[in-house]
Amino acid sequence: MNRYFRELSVTGALVLLLAVLAIWAPHFYQPQPLLSRFTAQTPALILTIGMTLVMIVRQIDISVGAQFGVCAVVAGLISASGAPLIVALAAALAAGAIMGALNGVLIAWMGLPSIVVSLATMVTWAELLRLFQQGKFINLPANVQWFGLSQSAGQQGLIFGSVLLLAGVSWLLKNRSGGRHIYAVGSDAEAARLAGINPKLTTFTVFVIMGTLAGLAAVLNMVQSPQVDPKCGVALELRAIAAAVVGGVAVSGGRGRLWGSFAGLLLLATINPALTFLHVEAYWEKAIQGLVILLAVIADGLRSRRQTS
Amino acid sequence: MSSQNSRSIKSLLLRHEVLLVLVLVLEIFYFLNNARNFGTPDNLSNIVRHSAEIGLLALAMMPVILTGGIDLSVGSLLGLCAVLFGVMTHDWHWATLPAAFVTILLGGLAGAFNATLITALRLPPLIVTLGTYSLFRGLAEAITQGTKTYRSFDPGFLGLGEFRFLGLPLQGWVLGFAALFFGILVHLTVFGRSFRAIGYSPEGTRYAGIPVLRRTAMPYILAGLTAAVAALLFTARLQQARADAGTGYELAAITAVVLGGTSIFGGSGTVYGTLTGIAAIAILSNGISRVPAVLKAGIGGELASLLTGALLLLALAAPALVRLLQSARKQPTT
Amino acid sequence: MNPAPGTLPTPPVSPGGPPLFRLSQVTKSFGAVRALRNVSFELAPGEVHALLGENGAGKSTLIKVITGAHQPDGGLLEFEGREVSHLTPTRARQLGIACIYQQPALFPDLSVAENIGLRLEPPGSFSRVNWQQRHQQARELLTRIGAAIDPETEVRALSMPEQQLVEIACALGSGAKLVVMDEPTASLTRTEQELLFGVVRDLRASGVGVIYISHRLEEIFALADRVTVLRDGESVATRSVRDADGTSTLTEAELIRMMVGREVAAIYPPRTATFGQTVLGIDNLSCAAGGVREVSLEVRAGEVFGLAGLVGAGRTELARVLFGITPADSGTIRLNGHTIRVGNPQEAVEHGVAYVPEDRRRHGVILPLPIAHNMTMAIHRRFFPGTWLRFGREESLASEFIQKLGIKAYGPAAPGGSLSGGNQQKVSLARWLATEPRLLILDEPTQGVDVGAKSEIHKIIRDLAAEGLAVLMISSDLPEVLGMSDRIGIMQGGRLVHVLDGATATADAVMTAALAAA
Repeated sequence: MNRYFRELSVTGALVLLLAVLAIWAPHFYQPQPLLSRFTAQTPALILTIGMTLVMIVRQIDISVGAQFGVCAVVAGLISASGAPLIVALAAALAAGAIMGALNGVLIAWMGLPSIVVSLATMVTWAELLRLFQQGKFINLPANVQWFGLSQSAGQQGLIFGSVLLLAGVSWLLKNRSGGRHIYAVGSDAEAARLAGINPKLTTFTVFVIMGTLAGLAAVLNMVQSPQVDPKCGVALELRAIAAAVVGGVAVSGGRGRLWGSFAGLLLLATINPALTFLHVEAYWEKAIQGLVILLAVIADGLRSRRQTS
Repeated sequence: MSSQNSRSIKSLLLRHEVLLVLVLVLEIFYFLNNARNFGTPDNLSNIVRHSAEIGLLALAMMPVILTGGIDLSVGSLLGLCAVLFGVMTHDWHWATLPAAFVTILLGGLAGAFNATLITALRLPPLIVTLGTYSLFRGLAEAITQGTKTYRSFDPGFLGLGEFRFLGLPLQGWVLGFAALFFGILVHLTVFGRSFRAIGYSPEGTRYAGIPVLRRTAMPYILAGLTAAVAALLFTARLQQARADAGTGYELAAITAVVLGGTSIFGGSGTVYGTLTGIAAIAILSNGISRVPAVLKAGIGGELASLLTGALLLLALAAPALVRLLQSARKQPTT
Repeated sequence: MNPAPGTLPTPPVSPGGPPLFRLSQVTKSFGAVRALRNVSFELAPGEVHALLGENGAGKSTLIKVITGAHQPDGGLLEFEGREVSHLTPTRARQLGIACIYQQPALFPDLSVAENIGLRLEPPGSFSRVNWQQRHQQARELLTRIGAAIDPETEVRALSMPEQQLVEIACALGSGAKLVVMDEPTASLTRTEQELLFGVVRDLRASGVGVIYISHRLEEIFALADRVTVLRDGESVATRSVRDADGTSTLTEAELIRMMVGREVAAIYPPRTATFGQTVLGIDNLSCAAGGVREVSLEVRAGEVFGLAGLVGAGRTELARVLFGITPADSGTIRLNGHTIRVGNPQEAVEHGVAYVPEDRRRHGVILPLPIAHNMTMAIHRRFFPGTWLRFGREESLASEFIQKLGIKAYGPAAPGGSLSGGNQQKVSLARWLATEPRLLILDEPTQGVDVGAKSEIHKIIRDLAAEGLAVLMISSDLPEVLGMSDRIGIMQGGRLVHVLDGATATADAVMTAALAAA
């Protein structure tokens, strides 16, 4: 059971928090608000899936929030022009894949550090977006919100779809050789090369997947409201990184599981409502998020130190 | 073969800095001709005033990157320090001077917190400072409850924001002093030597009997102190302290450092290069917002940031591109 | 199940058949150093062929040529009778050449089963991963080599010998026709060794050719059909270990003579006769993490104390304990009669201990930095009072050392990486001489250094000793140890097992002591 220690401890913390809420703030469990709250997390969940892959392959991507914003505006403008949703989705996915590929080229083939590359692309995309859109919201046609369905049907669809995607990627990661190659490259790129795996190609592919998922997440975000806010992606990358780190994905690569990141995301997402329900001021959310990240890395650091000595 | 290599790296570095100065000259030349009121003395001191905070952070970031590390938390720390200063002067009714002193001290403590996690626990700087990036900003938001803005500071303190000595605004003096301090630290003392050695090879530096952990900690502590000083300047200039002060400044600082020719992998770089990087960014953002067409569209800030981002990407990719071109040219002959 | 050592049946080689693998007249140089000179070597299918030689005789280079990691400068490689012109690691694997290195190349974060699976499965991207099959395959392979390792454990949780067993399982599973084993038993326990011998015999019986590198002579007698001895990058001789009816045709003494068989030339500087006070005294020094066990020795002023032994015998580890990189758990270190504590390198430097490390490029010199900066690195505090750099002073110190040690560089500002190996070594030496040490520890001072620089370094060492420095010199170069040392300590398994007088010691004696079974 030691193998699942990190994932289980995060899940344990989540269950504990939910139990606290059940006792002291049972309002939290009213179905409709709970459903809405969960739905609001689906875009972050999709990004977390991608970020988990990126971190397993021993990289990081800070530009996903900006990519998300660009894709949201692309999808929003296309939808606003009256094109069917599927066209908007395809465009968003393509835009995301292109941005991811740019990161991938610079990081995988030019060997530049992912932190600085993605910082630079983050600034570039974010400013391009500001320049282009000037902060203006995009009004969407009525049939876009909730795919033209009722709100609860749309919410259930989103939740079902994104959890299905999580399960699917999780399965691929475990049961297809490509998924195992991500772990292998993140664990030891040189050993991977000796085993006949192409580390550059693997890293590049992961960044393209990350970008594509950012496009998907942007569309899932779009259908939740009647407008597109061009600033909707701000700080989302932090949420995704925090979820993965808390969920046991090692910054040093090669380790981590999607369901751990999922539990990490839910834990972080529950902190804010928990604060409100427990009458703690909600302004502490970001500080607590930072603290949770630090605690998670400190715990990992201490554990790996004990293992090596 | 290896001698050839290192010489070509050296010439590349030379080229990089020469290139940057060239960009700087072109910028100035272009803006003098095309930007409204760019060359006036008033505008020059404006440039200095507006670039001081990011400039300070960049100067402090330079030694951090020289050791092969990074500090993403400086922008958030600026916000936290600004808010703490507001709390001390407003809520606790402290006098300006002791409050400023304690603010700087707290900034140093925050830097020491980063340093401890990175050196004593050997955690990666990237993820530690990403955590404190969120933590410091979050604390600032919690203290101000997200909305509170501290205004009406001591007029003497606010006067500092406009203060000039020998025609140079106070910010210019502070920036100049910081440049001198970091320049001396990096280039003229054994500390700078150690930073460089650690950036190239922490293991090798340990084998030379240099206290690697202590030396690695120093730049992070200095970065904390500097962020606090920048917070004070920021508060004096804008006449207010808010939780979102300095958002995104860490990026601008890193950009200035990398643009200025410091290797993101650590080891090589100059403070003079960083200063040039700061100047290039400051002049770009000031000048571009004075170009009539940009002014009319009101997109100065965005355009400047966009160009900065693109410039950073180019600066990053340039050495790799040159390497690729060189090896492509070499391949057929060998 | 397996026949007892020494009673192996004759190898199943068809006498007239082509050899599995043949190297003819292979040459390989690294800069000025000739690592291999006209090496010829042949391996039959179903043969265990041992490679024997001192450290630095060219064995590792030869292995790298066989596995495609190095391209030879000249010579011919043939596999199954066909010439192989451009051997790469991938091509070698395709041909069926597998190698078990001393340092396993495994994925620490993944399970044993997965490590084996990733090596053996074809690297398609969308093929299904059959976990059941992976586990079964891993279990089978591990059982075949008799290793009690759970396929589900993560590799990072395994000990070094266990990781090596996983490597062996990979080689076994890959169906290789030629397996190179580079000191596979170096870190194995007795039982694990026996298991490994069983595997080697199985491989041999199934027609696989095995190249077996080991320093343990008894293993060679137990396992090998033939043995080729390398010396100074040349293949000295290839001999059958036993004749057709299984009687031994070779003795240990013969092998040792072939390995060291050359005159120690009189090019070494003469020894000084007088020694001063005891400078370094260590008693029962142990460090579990570093693998040093209860070492006691003394080095006097003016004395060169040579440390001989095999790689991994604990010599470098002892130096690292004395220099505070892996501090001692127990025992005492005395310097000039005072007991000192060495908890980190800074303390060692303060006490006047200097260490010129073995890995020059990683630990000895910071390659991108100018040699002047490298030379003053260990004397920052004393040389730059008040932390202020003094460039003029630094430059004159560097120029002085450049002249004194005969360093060939275009000046004090030349980056360390622009120098040749021997000159880099002198820079590393200069850094430590600048500290004006009382004890100088040299770790392989002339490894990878060309002949001219080598004798210059020897002369410098002797001069330093004559000036009253105590020198502890670790070397795997036997003539160097014999020619330079006043006394020779021989280490094995982390212990100091023998101390010989330098003037009267012979190569045979040192080698015999170093190779003797623990």
